[in-house]
Amino acid sequence: MKTRELFFWVMIFCAVIIMAFILLPMIQLMTAPSIPMLKKTIRDRDVVRSIALSIYTSGLATLISFVLGTPLAYLLSRARFRGKGLVESVIDLPIVIPHPVVGIAILSVAGKNHWIGRIMAELGIRIMGSVTGIVTVLTFVGLPFYINAAKEGFQSVSPRLERVSRSLGASMIGTFFRITFPLAGRSILVGAIMCLARAVSEFGAVVIIAYHPMIAPVMIYERFEAYGLTYSQPVAFWLVALCLALFFALRMLILYGKRHA
Amino acid sequence: MKRTAFLILSILFFCFAVTQIGFSEKEEIGSVGTLTIFHAGSLSIPFEEIEKRFEKMYPDIDVQREAAGSQQCARKITDLGKPCDIMASADYKVIDKLLIPDYADWNIRFATNQLVLCYTDTSTYADSVNADNWYEILQKPRVVWGHSDPNLDPCGYRSLMVMQLAEKHYKIPGLYKALVANRPEENIRPKSVDLISLLQTGNMDYAWEYRSVAVQHGLRHITLPDEINLGNYRFDELYSTAKVKVTGKEPDTWMEISGQSVTYGITMVKTAPNPDVGVLFLQYLLDAEGGLEVLREMGQPPFLPARVPDHKMKATLPDELQSLVEVKN
Repeated sequence: MKTRELFFWVMIFCAVIIMAFILLPMIQLMTAPSIPMLKKTIRDRDVVRSIALSIYTSGLATLISFVLGTPLAYLLSRARFRGKGLVESVIDLPIVIPHPVVGIAILSVAGKNHWIGRIMAELGIRIMGSVTGIVTVLTFVGLPFYINAAKEGFQSVSPRLERVSRSLGASMIGTFFRITFPLAGRSILVGAIMCLARAVSEFGAVVIIAYHPMIAPVMIYERFEAYGLTYSQPVAFWLVALCLALFFALRMLILYGKRHA
Repeated sequence: MKRTAFLILSILFFCFAVTQIGFSEKEEIGSVGTLTIFHAGSLSIPFEEIEKRFEKMYPDIDVQREAAGSQQCARKITDLGKPCDIMASADYKVIDKLLIPDYADWNIRFATNQLVLCYTDTSTYADSVNADNWYEILQKPRVVWGHSDPNLDPCGYRSLMVMQLAEKHYKIPGLYKALVANRPEENIRPKSVDLISLLQTGNMDYAWEYRSVAVQHGLRHITLPDEINLGNYRFDELYSTAKVKVTGKEPDTWMEISGQSVTYGITMVKTAPNPDVGVLFLQYLLDAEGGLEVLREMGQPPFLPARVPDHKMKATLPDELQSLVEVKN
């Protein structure tokens, strides 16, 4: 029998540590609530509404990121221009800013003290305490994850293929939709999942913009404060369970696409 | 062979480093020199000043404060088991309700406050609002005003009580309902201090706050008559006619809270990692020329001396605090 190299055991050792580090708290969270409590919680209309709102607003934020972010990601993957590094750093900004600061910053633009806020008030658009506000925040925090993943996807598509397509008479837009986009499709889906995941988990910025209507992370906080762990853990359980199911389904979709590509 | 030895050594070093991190943190929390205080958000600014002065007197002691809603402070102790020496609440009842008897034995009342209506220069009707017409302005459809969550923050249910008392005081039947009807749920925030950023960014016109918070943040505010501002304990009987329903110990259960003058409570947690330093801090805080003087300067009138409700509770206080506290309900 061939003896394993030490390096192999080092890898195993690190893997076990990291798995335990992530899984132990999660298992604790998922097994703490009792079954009757879980049943009671999922029948609570407020809980269902908050989880539905969470998924709805995050989904909308992902859709907006997809529509607005895809052209920008493509531009960044193809164009070379001065200040490109700067644009890329700006896109990464939402990742590094502390979450409550994001909330306050958006509020200060949306308030009466800012001309944009005054125009929005005239148009009847309200950010504070509204679904619009929640989607705005979630898009803000999720956007960088989508753009970065999509950009890498486009970069992996060789410009040569595009040139061939153009030389055969396809328009720029036709080439993009028939050649580039399908080839980068996997990265785009991964980016969308990352963006969705980031949006579902956001709390700090949302609670400043909108306490009511309540998304699930805000409700977990409210339940913890008002009633303690016993009543916040079941809500957390359902949010985590639903998100895991959702992300698992999307991952399956990616695998399926890969096999049939 | 050399490489293997190097790997083993680095793994050993890594393990050693990890355990060292663990040790040094443990030492920090429980060491002679640190004192952990959980306190209500409305005490942040005076306690910051008290911390500075206290640390000047005892340079070896490091005071670490965590500000949060009063209920949250209690939950951190009871549900999360976070180590804490002293807990100060904006409503002494939170300590009675959540900490006594399992996590604390006594509850010293040490300061008061009152509710005011805050606004800024850009608030709608900022030029005309005053102590006589505020309740008319809060009913105007274009005015955005809010208070904190009555279920989480004592300031929240107290804001509602002030409006109930206003109905009586100004003799306008139905005023409370009419006011609340013009305050959509979206204008509520978990803690009253969360409302300040909404005021300052022009997203909200008026917000209910403690007077001390208004003074410390330099906000324009309307001072209300003693009959309704919950600041004068001589009116406690009148205040108690205001009643607000808040959520109970589990969802869909309710309990009724009656109005009472705003009274801050402080206690030492039974499992305090550092009780000796805790007593030292309380000695300074409850000193008429120490902490209580800072509170007075910052718009939170203290009780001179601080109080406990009965002799039985006084007997459970540490010896060092006996002379600083009187029995008065």
